[in-house]
Amino acid sequence: MMPSSEDDLSRDLYSIPSSSSWFQWDEIHETERRELPEFFDGSAASRNLRVYKEYRDFIINKFREDPSRRLTFTEVRKSLIGDVGTLHKVFLFLERWGLINFGISGGRPRQPEEVGPRVVVEEAGAGVQVVPASSKLASGRSAVAATAAGAGETGFRLPPLSSYSDVFGDWAPGKGPVCAVCGNEGVSGRHEPLIEGGFVVCLKCSKNRNDIEGKSADDNSGHADGNANHATGAWTDAETLLLLEAVLKHGDDWDLIAQHVRTKSRIDCIARLIQLPFGDHMLGTFSGKYDAKNSGNQPTNSKAIQHASSELLPEPKTDGHGHDDVKEKVAEESTPVHPLKRRHIPSIANATDSLMKQVALLSTAAGPHVAAAAAEAAVKALCNEKPCAWKVFDIDEDESRKKLKSFPTKNEPKSAVKVEDQEVEMDKQTDAPELPQKNFSATAFQTKAAIATALGAAAARAKLLADQEEREMELLMASIIEAQMRKIQYKIKHFKELEFIMEKEYTLMQQMKESLLDKWVEVIQQIFQAGIPRWKDHAFPKSLWNNGS
Amino acid sequence: MKSLPLGASKAPIKFRMPTAENLIPIRLDIEIDGQRYKDAFTWNPNDPDSEVVSFAKRTVKDLKLPPTFMTQIAQSIQTQLAEFRSYEGQDMHIKEKIVPIKIDLRVNNTVIRDQFLWDVSNFETDPEEFARTLCEDLNIEDPEVGPAIAVAIREQLYEVATQSVSSARETRVGKKGRRGIENVTNSKTGNSALDLLKLFGNKGSVIRKRKEWYLYEPIVDILSNEEVGALDAREELNARLKKKLDEKEDSFQTRYSHG
Repeated sequence: MMPSSEDDLSRDLYSIPSSSSWFQWDEIHETERRELPEFFDGSAASRNLRVYKEYRDFIINKFREDPSRRLTFTEVRKSLIGDVGTLHKVFLFLERWGLINFGISGGRPRQPEEVGPRVVVEEAGAGVQVVPASSKLASGRSAVAATAAGAGETGFRLPPLSSYSDVFGDWAPGKGPVCAVCGNEGVSGRHEPLIEGGFVVCLKCSKNRNDIEGKSADDNSGHADGNANHATGAWTDAETLLLLEAVLKHGDDWDLIAQHVRTKSRIDCIARLIQLPFGDHMLGTFSGKYDAKNSGNQPTNSKAIQHASSELLPEPKTDGHGHDDVKEKVAEESTPVHPLKRRHIPSIANATDSLMKQVALLSTAAGPHVAAAAAEAAVKALCNEKPCAWKVFDIDEDESRKKLKSFPTKNEPKSAVKVEDQEVEMDKQTDAPELPQKNFSATAFQTKAAIATALGAAAARAKLLADQEEREMELLMASIIEAQMRKIQYKIKHFKELEFIMEKEYTLMQQMKESLLDKWVEVIQQIFQAGIPRWKDHAFPKSLWNNGS
Repeated sequence: MKSLPLGASKAPIKFRMPTAENLIPIRLDIEIDGQRYKDAFTWNPNDPDSEVVSFAKRTVKDLKLPPTFMTQIAQSIQTQLAEFRSYEGQDMHIKEKIVPIKIDLRVNNTVIRDQFLWDVSNFETDPEEFARTLCEDLNIEDPEVGPAIAVAIREQLYEVATQSVSSARETRVGKKGRRGIENVTNSKTGNSALDLLKLFGNKGSVIRKRKEWYLYEPIVDILSNEEVGALDAREELNARLKKKLDEKEDSFQTRYSHG
């Protein structure tokens, strides 16, 4: 259910309190001038605008290197030159405004924002270390803000980068139920009932969904009812927000999450998270504000966005009615007379829209057969546990088969069908909770089966990856061994050559020695023949003999 | 800074501790009949002198020290207060000045070594708060460490402040010898202030070079009880040796000057 790690690598999102949305990498805001006047009045050589900016940027970047842990002043001051008192002031200023250590539990408790937990999502370069890079990004962003947002509202930044879809179609916006873009105006009108339902719901204006805007109003009210059913009393908006924040931050560590939420127990948190609908309305906060803002001049704007986004994402496949929401399906299933549907194949980035979609994605990744096996196994296990569950799945099976039949004939390309198969199964399970005619136990079984399937699919995928890794490791190992072997062979060859040379030298030496000996013998013979007494010339031949032997 | 409404460089101000609260560091190290009492704390020089005596009384009572300590404690505090007051009323010539502060302390079982820069001309600083933050950040549990760090900072600031009082210079030099033991922890205050223009001018970055980070990073060691015992013994020995040496030197000096 958590955002996968590969998503995390591709982007960096930081949440800061909306009250600090004035922050800009390349500008000094009024607030900063007011709160830290000593840097801007030129009273001291050690404090000026440039120094302040360097302090600020460094501290923020330092924090963002790992936003999950608390950045301490002691850690910061070792890397900055300057008076610790002044540094501490800057540090406290940034901390107070939530630009660092925002939402970090532990340490000194921080008082919650009275304004309500609004969250601004800010984008920064992946290598936050380098300040120029981030400032470049910022300027790029502001430029976009001017062009992309027809409404031209302040604070709405929609970069035309292709990464936009990765960034905002993803999890992070879900951090805060109220999005910054929504701002004040976003909370009004049709969004209000949704807040009561337990979370602030903004509709996703993801590029491939602009066409549902017309329907969004109806959708919203529909969801609100559904949500109301889910909300089990005691959870407030703020608590839910905390929960979501904690989940994003701590992942599966429920103890930490419970600590973060504080007012709820571990079990409560888990139960709550399970109850949360992981549909578009949870995750689409960012885009929702866009909807809200543009509801007035919808036609032009949505068109523009559609245009901008069409190159980036696969076009949704429509079948007549042009709705692709899961909720649509819900409605459809409860009223079986309405067979038409619109679906799209989720891209990786959008797959986090819902639990079920992620399951579907995982299963596509693992291969349809593996996922089917996983699903089957999950259902079987569940049936073993409670035989009555089988009935539920029996019915569903039929339905899904029916659906399946209808798809290929409609408008899906062949390749998509397999995926559909998985998805349909998942979908019907998602839908189940909202079906009035099914009893609760059936829903529970289906949810269980879905979760089990998800786990199964994930496991299958993991297995695949692991296998691949192993193969790769083996391959590398083999190549290493081969290289070593080759090295040794080279060495042996070299030694052989050396030996050969040595031998040659040796024989040469022997030959020379022999010829020398011969010569000496000759010389001595000549001496004798000449009649010179041997003892008179003792030293000369003696030394020669010694050398020669 | 706001704290210097007229600007530090223009109007000299009267001598005081260059911190938000005018608290002066007091260090006591008294040994009577083999019993030793060491302590360090801050004192508000505006408190009436009667406080000193009652403080001494309370301390002796709380720590169950022999009553002879009472007068010694009171006397030591009075001496240090008097030294501070001798500077009071004089003008301080502190321009913008950033000095490195070095901490090398052992408090009970905690050894802490640290270095950082301190703006002496900023009269809004708070060594106590700094020390508290430091201890919080490093999860130092011993409650005595924070105040000890604060006092060490104050001692060094005090020294810098006295240097800025023109008349104090000679006396300070003369005193250096006698204050040997006390100066163990803050030996290097004399090092000069940093070249601000070089550090904060247009060229250099205020982000420290990575390889220098370790120099300005606190290092904390928690010692075992045996190590503490050994250190205590060694320190005591050193102190005694030094004392003897000092005495010898003193007697030599007196003899020399008399002769």
